[in-house]
Amino acid sequence: MRDAPYATETKPYGRALLSLAQQRSDILCLTGDLTRQCEIDLFQQAIPERFIHAGMAEANMMSMAGALARRGFIPFVHTFGVFATRRPYDQIVNSIGYPKLPVRIVGFMPGVSTPGGPSHQAVEDIAIMRAVPGMTIIDVADAQEIAQAVPAIVDLPGPVYLRLKRGEIPLMFKEGHRFDLHKADVIYDGGEAAIVSSGMMLASARQAAEILHEAGLPCSLVHLPVLKPIDAKTLCEVLGRARVVVTAENHSVIGGLGSAIAELIAEEGLGIRLGRIGLQDTYAEGSLNAPHLFMKYGLSTQKIVDTAWRLSGRSASAPNVPSIPVQAGEYAPV
Amino acid sequence: MRENAIIAKTANNDPAERRREVTRYADAIRLHALRMVMPQGFGYLGQALSSAEIFATLYRSAYRHNIDNLVCSPGHYIISVYAAEAAAGRLGPDDLCTYGQNDSRLEAIGTEKSPGVSLTCGSLGMGLSGALGLALADRLQGKTDAYTFAFISDGELEEGQVWEAALFAAHHKMNRLIVILDANNSQVDGPVDTITTIDPIAEKWRAFGWHAQDVDGHDVDRLEAALEASLDSDLPSIVIARTSTRMGLHCLPPDADGHFIKVPPELARDAIAELEGRLA
Repeated sequence: MRDAPYATETKPYGRALLSLAQQRSDILCLTGDLTRQCEIDLFQQAIPERFIHAGMAEANMMSMAGALARRGFIPFVHTFGVFATRRPYDQIVNSIGYPKLPVRIVGFMPGVSTPGGPSHQAVEDIAIMRAVPGMTIIDVADAQEIAQAVPAIVDLPGPVYLRLKRGEIPLMFKEGHRFDLHKADVIYDGGEAAIVSSGMMLASARQAAEILHEAGLPCSLVHLPVLKPIDAKTLCEVLGRARVVVTAENHSVIGGLGSAIAELIAEEGLGIRLGRIGLQDTYAEGSLNAPHLFMKYGLSTQKIVDTAWRLSGRSASAPNVPSIPVQAGEYAPV
Repeated sequence: MRENAIIAKTANNDPAERRREVTRYADAIRLHALRMVMPQGFGYLGQALSSAEIFATLYRSAYRHNIDNLVCSPGHYIISVYAAEAAAGRLGPDDLCTYGQNDSRLEAIGTEKSPGVSLTCGSLGMGLSGALGLALADRLQGKTDAYTFAFISDGELEEGQVWEAALFAAHHKMNRLIVILDANNSQVDGPVDTITTIDPIAEKWRAFGWHAQDVDGHDVDRLEAALEASLDSDLPSIVIARTSTRMGLHCLPPDADGHFIKVPPELARDAIAELEGRLA
């Protein structure tokens, strides 16, 4: 991985989808009135004949997408994560999930990455998508993973929920990083503690792992961009060598990554302590900026460090996390 | 004028003979439906009674099994499709007798396993959107000959998704989409008009940009004429068919709940005799 602060780029998803659609005539692009925000203005300009504007009507959009998929198309459906999952849940279940159709639901603006308040903050989208049988769920960390995830999911036989950060997308991995649909990414192994993160929380998780290591608590780090189906084998190997595990997700701790790891620990009999970083069964709020919410709702690097330190039974006080100054166009963990 | 199959479908062009044939088809639907619900003694018979002429007219005129899409939005009406398929010879008695039984593909509320339809939906209000997806797919794939027929129910008009789909269809000029609405004024809690005022239905759809016709849903001549006009419309079309869940079975007691009719053995015998008598 690179070091924070991370450089960012814009529209990695929009470019990846357009590039793929230029080779694949079966790809359709649907939007629920958030075209530029979902980076698909690129698609609209280049391939207008396969761009379908569904308007602000998510229920109709999902059921239409399912029917289009029945006829051999691969619809990529775009809106913010809240509107992609909460409002049309019945349509996702009945028109897409139950018939096992290859619709790709792309939900932007995860968790508290938006200061737009509870109506715009997708804090339980992964939880409800995990409950849909056969749904593949992807929450990638950086621009390189986005570029690789799009072609990786296109031919999956069933539905996919792809959760994407909006706006400036960090470049966290070095050149040559490979996104693997089937394998968790073990960044550090062999630690007494382990951190498992998904999505944009990788930035904080990685900073926390390094600080803990320097403070004398060796820490494994697993990046889990594919939440379902979960790579239980890799996780069991890494977590089996640890005494405590901390999960970090930009989501409610109920039903998402933290729950998935709790299920794994219990079912595999790993018998290790678990701490879950994320929204603690609460809604967030509107604010001026997202970092304030990450701090206020306990999604910070310091919170990960404190939790791992406490669960590991260290008596001294936990190490302090220095803040990382960022310039415009850079991204750093909170 | 667009080509359509309406006249070519039936062997006989004599209007009185055609009317007789479609009416017999409707009674055949009623009889098949009755036999499907008889083993349990209750079921969605009222839906078959109200929609019998609709499906009979569709099957004997506008709908071409191998070319067009057929969507049955309210999965509770799938009994009518099974019955119409049986009348067309595509389902046999061995299939129909499994209706609603364990491990049957003929589930009582339509599912992915249901034969006879391009799509059916158990959760109400979704079928029109699915029909739009199929019609869009045909348009994108250059299948200019195909029509999409979407059967929906009046109770479904209470679901907002129907109106999302109505807006989309008109905006995108989905002129090969034809909706047939069974306005039987029946939903679980009672008559639709005592629960939600949905009239005037035709005016609502016209205001949304549709070609709308309001007809007696048991008059096969009016239904056929309405379908024919729909095939030729430049707009998406809806035929509002006014029906009754008690139509075509005189032996039903006056207090029968048309939404979920109970058919005890004695009533079943009378009903079979009545329908077989008309079909003899």
